[in-house]
Amino acid sequence: MNKLYLWGVIITAAMLGATYLSVGMSKGGLNGDIVNILAVTGAVALVVITVFVVIKYVRQMQVDQATGELADESWDNIGEYKNPVPFGWAIMFLGTMIWGMWYFIIGYPVDAFSQIGQYNEEVAQKNAEFEKEYADIHGERLVEMGESVFLGECRVCHGIAADGIDGKAANLNVRLEAKTVKSVIENGSNNKLLGTEMPMPDRNGLFNAQTGALITDAEINAVAEYVANGMKGNEAGANVFANTCASCHGPDGKGMEYVAPNIAEFTPSLITNVLTHGKKGAIGKMPALDKLNAKQKEAVAAYIISLSKGE
Amino acid sequence: MFHWLEKHPFFFAVGVFVAIAFAGLIEILPNFAQASRPVIGTAPYSTLELAGRNVYIKNSCNACHSQLIRPFKSETDRYGHYSLSGEYAYDRPFLWGSKRTGPDLMRVGNYRTTDWHENHMKNPAAVVPSSIMPAYSWLFTNKADIDTAYAEQLTVAQFFSVPYNKPVPMKDGLTKVVKMGKSVAEAHALALEEAKKVVADMKDQDVKDAVARGEIPEIVALIAYLNSLK
Repeated sequence: MNKLYLWGVIITAAMLGATYLSVGMSKGGLNGDIVNILAVTGAVALVVITVFVVIKYVRQMQVDQATGELADESWDNIGEYKNPVPFGWAIMFLGTMIWGMWYFIIGYPVDAFSQIGQYNEEVAQKNAEFEKEYADIHGERLVEMGESVFLGECRVCHGIAADGIDGKAANLNVRLEAKTVKSVIENGSNNKLLGTEMPMPDRNGLFNAQTGALITDAEINAVAEYVANGMKGNEAGANVFANTCASCHGPDGKGMEYVAPNIAEFTPSLITNVLTHGKKGAIGKMPALDKLNAKQKEAVAAYIISLSKGE
Repeated sequence: MFHWLEKHPFFFAVGVFVAIAFAGLIEILPNFAQASRPVIGTAPYSTLELAGRNVYIKNSCNACHSQLIRPFKSETDRYGHYSLSGEYAYDRPFLWGSKRTGPDLMRVGNYRTTDWHENHMKNPAAVVPSSIMPAYSWLFTNKADIDTAYAEQLTVAQFFSVPYNKPVPMKDGLTKVVKMGKSVAEAHALALEEAKKVVADMKDQDVKDAVARGEIPEIVALIAYLNSLK
């Protein structure tokens, strides 16, 4: 037997032995695990193939004689025979070219991943979950959702207790404060509290039907106190209200559709409209919070309504 | 040619570098140039806003507040649309920040108002009880540096063709013209005019009096800048 083959057998045996030892000695060994068995089989196959391929080429170097016609080109004095291109190699070369063209024109994953695509998917998924979970939320749960949105978004101005933090924002525990009523009467309003209503005129457009004259300072004070008090008390204010404000806001202050908002109590549409459009009033400007979705706005409305009911 | 290159490894390496660098340039540069153009709705800073921006930098607001909204739902829910590179086209330097001790301010103009900022700068804990931000009371007395802001405007208008006094497209389909004065005096007048609009929504009487006298406290410039962040 050729010495080379002998060495091959010895090395193979040594490496297989080493493999066996390392697997056998390790904790658990093959353990009947299909993955372990596959890995070891692969290792054995690699050892055998490597050793015999190496032997083949070493033999070839030992015994082969170079024959054939040399090419004219010489690379640093290393010549090359004019042998035909190996068939398998040629097939792979052409195949790679065809694959390359396909990959370049059709196969390249242009839209496989993008950060924005991932973001859009995330948003779509979260929105779907939200829709599914809160499709028919109502009552106490809606108020709870409103409270959590309020604490996240509204609290920084209106305060944790929704009291407006000493006049920094509107006190949401009451429908209107006297200074707000006064400011609206003096300056008018076009805050789209109903979404589409007529703008309210300022004091130069507000007549007291009883006296037939423009509303006076005393009347403004009286009616502001009356409205801020929840549409009760202050006889004079009630009288002014009935003769000046009631034509649009209704005798009970509950407003009229498409004309004037409810000023006796909060309504869901009023609050969602303020969240959508923002508002500019006696205290300052409230920014629109249109990033809240419809359900969240509804929830905030439910929460604010629950506040003014003293619940 | 190729024989020569094969015999000169150094020049061969140079040739390889040039080929790859050229490929990189034509791949990267056009896209980069496109993405860094201002997006519709991004307008240059006015003189007062730029002075406010300098106040922002001077007080190291960017050490605690980032101006970069990442594309995650948790961020866009809280801060608004994720940031686009074109939105920083007029930021020199950009103020992305690398740490959020406080919230992101990229679009703070959308959800905070002049009077809120005023209350907040005087005493942050009064509006946000858990806030650890210190009060910035000196902003109410220090005067904003309009001269520097105007010098910056002149520079960027000349060297980077920032479109001052030119219509820029806005999101609603209209255009907006950001004015820049022709002289220092005119720049001061424009800044004061803008400051008066801001001060109309403020409560602090000393600040109101200062603006009425023609002075511009830093707080006014800063609020103008914060309101412009949208």
